[in-house]
Amino acid sequence: MSNLNEGPKKSSLELIYSGMIFLEQFVENVTSYSSRYNSISSILYAPENLTGKPSKYPNYGDDPNSYTLRSYGSWWNQSEAAQPAYMPQDVDPIPSEDFVTVRFKHGVFPESICIYETYNPGAVVRIWGHKMGNPWVLLWQGAPQLCLPSSRRFSPPIRQVKELINEIRIEFNQSMLSYYTSLDAVLLTGYQPKSLLQGELLQKGLFDCLDGCECDVNKCTPIHSGGDGLDLFASLPFEVMVHIFQYLDLKSLCRCAQVNKRWHSITFDPTLYREISLKRYWNRVDEIVMKHFITKCRNVKKLDISWCDIEKQITEPVFMEFLEKCCPNITHLSLGHCFSHSSSLGYLAKYGELTDLRLRNCKCNMNEYEALSNLSKLTALDLYCSNISDVYLIKILRANRDLKYLNLDLCELLERLDEVTEVISVFNPNLVMWSSWKTHSITSDGVKFLARCSSLRELDLGWCLLLNDPGNSLERIASNCKHLRRLILCGWRGVNDQLLLPIIRSCKEIRELDLLGMKNISVDICERILSSLPNLRLLDISFCDLIKPEQVVLWRQHYPNITIQQAL
Amino acid sequence: MHTLWLTSRLLSRAIWNGISNLSTAADANLQRKKDPQIISAVCGFPKERKIQRLIKGQFGDDAWFTAKYKTADVLGVADGVGGWRAYGIDPGEFSLHLMQTCQRLVNMGRFTPTNPSELLARSYYELLHHKKAILGSSTACVVVLNKENSTLYTANIGDSGFMVVRRGKVIHKSEEQQHYFNTPFQLSLPPPGYQANVLSDQPDSAITNNFPVEDGDVILVATDGVFDNLPQSLLIKELCKVQGERCATRLQTVANSIAWMARNLSFDETFISPFAESAFANGINTIGGKPDDITVLLATVAI
Repeated sequence: MSNLNEGPKKSSLELIYSGMIFLEQFVENVTSYSSRYNSISSILYAPENLTGKPSKYPNYGDDPNSYTLRSYGSWWNQSEAAQPAYMPQDVDPIPSEDFVTVRFKHGVFPESICIYETYNPGAVVRIWGHKMGNPWVLLWQGAPQLCLPSSRRFSPPIRQVKELINEIRIEFNQSMLSYYTSLDAVLLTGYQPKSLLQGELLQKGLFDCLDGCECDVNKCTPIHSGGDGLDLFASLPFEVMVHIFQYLDLKSLCRCAQVNKRWHSITFDPTLYREISLKRYWNRVDEIVMKHFITKCRNVKKLDISWCDIEKQITEPVFMEFLEKCCPNITHLSLGHCFSHSSSLGYLAKYGELTDLRLRNCKCNMNEYEALSNLSKLTALDLYCSNISDVYLIKILRANRDLKYLNLDLCELLERLDEVTEVISVFNPNLVMWSSWKTHSITSDGVKFLARCSSLRELDLGWCLLLNDPGNSLERIASNCKHLRRLILCGWRGVNDQLLLPIIRSCKEIRELDLLGMKNISVDICERILSSLPNLRLLDISFCDLIKPEQVVLWRQHYPNITIQQAL
Repeated sequence: MHTLWLTSRLLSRAIWNGISNLSTAADANLQRKKDPQIISAVCGFPKERKIQRLIKGQFGDDAWFTAKYKTADVLGVADGVGGWRAYGIDPGEFSLHLMQTCQRLVNMGRFTPTNPSELLARSYYELLHHKKAILGSSTACVVVLNKENSTLYTANIGDSGFMVVRRGKVIHKSEEQQHYFNTPFQLSLPPPGYQANVLSDQPDSAITNNFPVEDGDVILVATDGVFDNLPQSLLIKELCKVQGERCATRLQTVANSIAWMARNLSFDETFISPFAESAFANGINTIGGKPDDITVLLATVAI
């Protein structure tokens, strides 16, 4: 039977394809991303470098003209300030950590997708596709790979779909990466219908007829009907059932709800929805889903709704209703990449119990940040790549005296960071983690204010000082912050051996030290770092001109427990 | 014999550079669009006789670029300040990266055709963010043809420059910016700790200008190696030859001859060069050309 079916199908497919235009396209523009290495205004390492033909491939190595992600490996997840999973029972087996979305000029029925990886390949775990405005379709997914250090064209087998695709979303998991990954270009090949009519036919009619034959097989899978009708679960009390259900992820809960009336009612128990993480289901969370949750949830404490589109899919009023009805006492809220324009945040002011607020990549109306100063219990605030300004940040810091973790990476509107650090030294003396990667308004004076926070354990000041004179700021840090575990000073061009010495002498707990791009540090000081910091696990000395690769090879042999990074 | 070998290497290099540039130029020629555009050719020589590297866009410490975007055609040259060699810094690196970044910014559309000094400023700030520290300083000159209104927008810092000639007359010439004799204005990224002792001019100190151009106008963008060694009269004579020229090959021939003349005169010890005249005016008694890296970017406007 099946043989008979296959004959005409193949030829009809060929017929369809022969009537279409075969297109090979490189990226026209980048529409969205969750991670970037460099400031938004810069083109170095920027996502925009994905556009057009590959410029670097087949060469291998760190190249400012390709797209580089902000993080690699598990170093960032090991940070104290990293966001824990709110719903451990619903963690993706292959979690996506970051994404980039690219658009092509013409919509095509995709045949293959090729990603040019030019430095530390292997991080791509998912590829989605859609035509602008339509739902996303998963084209491929797979585990992150451990790859050889050479550039490659990654072209996984993608699902054949009957949809035109002109936008692709690539998701990354950096856990296997030994160092920063770089992407050079993305090539989409596929067939473009010659006319609108042909396109419509293919999407709606023809393919369905063809698929029909295949689907029959799937439909025939037998469903166990329970046999003797004995429901062992029926004898368990309601509370026990709820307890069992607590171990289920959202998808399974939804399936359980369809079993029978009793199970259905159990899945409606609000205790199952104290901590929800919807990030994994970002493409499916919309108004209807949220309204559904509104009927179920009553006392949500932790909510991770990152990557879901609050602006367009969920819509703001529905989200506000959800917060109001279901999360009156919410403590943890993660809204990473939920808004891209002038949304409001003001409604968050009502939720005074909030202790952990993550607004990564959020671009909202600038004045809305003021509302956050009505909160007073914040201990963690993540504003990575957001558009907060100094005035409101200072207000928030003054109001939240227990703040421990503060992330201000790539916040370009912060122009008076020295003032911010001065406020911190007075109002938030218990700060444990400070991160201000690539923010340039801090000077050595600002760093000295930070040094007054004696419980600092993680300090990320990457690219903050550039050519400015570090003065005695490192000495202050060394004398006051004895418990530093992570110190990122990359791009501080003015640091020399003398300035680093105090740190090595007194911060013995350092585990990760990033000295990338320091032109003047010598082999001697590195030797000293390696031998005298007992807890050191990571040392980045890329682009330190005085340190030769041969030397690094020797060190790697001598200190096998320490990961020593030197870029190509 | 030695000189013959040298000459042939220099010549082949000049041709190589010419050809690599020719492809884009010829391509543009084919399109014959209505849009105003620039047809260009480049030639140059490093001052040092031994050829250290062969990178497109570089002659010694000089660097150049051409770039096209839908709204504008852009040309630029930069001259790395040689004094950095004494500090263990390769002076060519700064100028090359400055020009390459300009080129990328233009290709990505991250510039305003009417504001070339902003382009220089952006490029300069990008240099700060290279993982590998790029230090040094450089003069720079950028010329943008805004296709919308056929107007040339220029920005110049230091003693590189441009000259626009129409039917044998100079209609525009850049002004030199010098702190004092032989010390031009410069963009710089000094090594940390040297800031106080280094001349550093901000990108916004560039002299900017704009003026309409006509079909056939000849644009010369060059580094001081050309202007210091070739008298203006000689330059104009050469530039006249390509008035209205649309063939990239013939443009290339003239670019080559200008570069050759500049190079020969720069080693002529008896020649009273513009540089020698200027030195004399500053109370320094010298004669002969000024051996320097030479970059000639020759272009014509096609409307």
